[in-house]
Amino acid sequence: MTKSTEKKAKTKKWETDGGYLFIKEDYCKECSYCIEFCPQDVLEESESFNEKGYHPPQPVNLDQCLNCNFCGMICPDFAIWTEEAEENE
Amino acid sequence: MSKEAIMTGKYFMNGDEACAEGALAAGCRFFAGYPITPQSEIAERMSKRMPEVGGRFIQMEDELSSIAAVLGGSWGGSKSMTATSGPGFSLMMENIGLGMMTETPCVIANIQRGSPSTGLPTAVGQGEMMQAKWGSHGDYGVIAYAPTSPQEMFDYTIKAFNKSEQYMMPVFVMADEKIGHMRERVVIDKSKVETQPRRKPDADPEDFLPYEPKEDLVPEMASAGEGYRVHVTGLTHNEKGYPQLDVETQKKKVGRLVDKVEKNKDDIVEIKTQGVDDADVLIVSYGMAYRTAMGAYKQARDKGMKVGIIRLVTVWPFPEEEIRELSQQVSGIVVPEINQGQMVHEVERACGDRAEVKLVPHPGGGLHKPKDILNALEALI
Repeated sequence: MTKSTEKKAKTKKWETDGGYLFIKEDYCKECSYCIEFCPQDVLEESESFNEKGYHPPQPVNLDQCLNCNFCGMICPDFAIWTEEAEENE
Repeated sequence: MSKEAIMTGKYFMNGDEACAEGALAAGCRFFAGYPITPQSEIAERMSKRMPEVGGRFIQMEDELSSIAAVLGGSWGGSKSMTATSGPGFSLMMENIGLGMMTETPCVIANIQRGSPSTGLPTAVGQGEMMQAKWGSHGDYGVIAYAPTSPQEMFDYTIKAFNKSEQYMMPVFVMADEKIGHMRERVVIDKSKVETQPRRKPDADPEDFLPYEPKEDLVPEMASAGEGYRVHVTGLTHNEKGYPQLDVETQKKKVGRLVDKVEKNKDDIVEIKTQGVDDADVLIVSYGMAYRTAMGAYKQARDKGMKVGIIRLVTVWPFPEEEIRELSQQVSGIVVPEINQGQMVHEVERACGDRAEVKLVPHPGGGLHKPKDILNALEALI
């Protein structure tokens, strides 16, 4: 692997209620599907740029996230997904 | 994620994931499949969970080999399953027939999408209801469940495994894209899960006949390596499992493949009814179309219309006696389906000319509006 690929693999992680939200910002091409279709309106467009020059999404209502992984299902670029926490309470 | 095979608890799960969990709860320890939308979440879940519970997941090169591997897994002694959608279901047809002929227990989940051909990969359809019954060549009995929620995906997958082991045959879970991708509460309770073990022979290995039917017309099955002679062939075979290509053997074998389902219908067939006692018109529905039909049913009852609703839990074998019985008292039956008319033929056959049967078709890719069904009900009252 080249250095730039390793850099691309950097993943941001947030804790949600009962799970985690992950965003690989540099995979994003700003199609906004995740922002548009999130059933809980968890996401918004950020003001920062990724290395391709696009605005990746960022969470605004993190406490509303249900870990449904709908963002993960519709993201064409594997840039965002959710996971449930290891132990089910 | 829990390492338990049956993860007791309350979850927010989609139908596909619930199907995979149901299979694991039923004792499935071998999954072979090939990804296809909208089924892929079953395979994805299985690929993660199988190693955790000591089972095997294998991604095959296509659907033909997937079903072949599943039959092999079952002959090897594992409860086995595969999952697919329309195009893959078509590819599996030949070896589904092999599974029927060799009386091999396994489960095939078909998460139906818009069809024919590649159709609408990410959208709903119910186009393979007749294919499940008539898809492979020849005559054989079929058991197929139609779940209407993620919870039922869990429950009915367990039922499908139990029936496949009880009657020694492939059993279908005929769900659809909407149920597969729908995310709802799924309650898993280990103490409520009942499983059917493999019917193992206790006869002396010298005397054992692998295709000798017991009282319920179903034989026992020995796995390779247990000391019994294991001989499986798709050719017409005698009770010993050897090919015997004559009319008498064919009559016995194929007759039994049909009869073991037909004569045990009382044990297999399940329907759920609501409001049928005083009904003037009925709705007969299954799968995702049932959820829309339920909306129409409630609206009709609110308007004071005497409407009843019948849901097919098992679409195959078709509950014709039950439908015939209930059709005596009504003037018409409405059948909403997300296809151009499949199970409606069975409803027509069951109720003859006693009641007018009206199909409410949908081409697939979306759902009926409750109003479509309501209009059909109003026309029949």
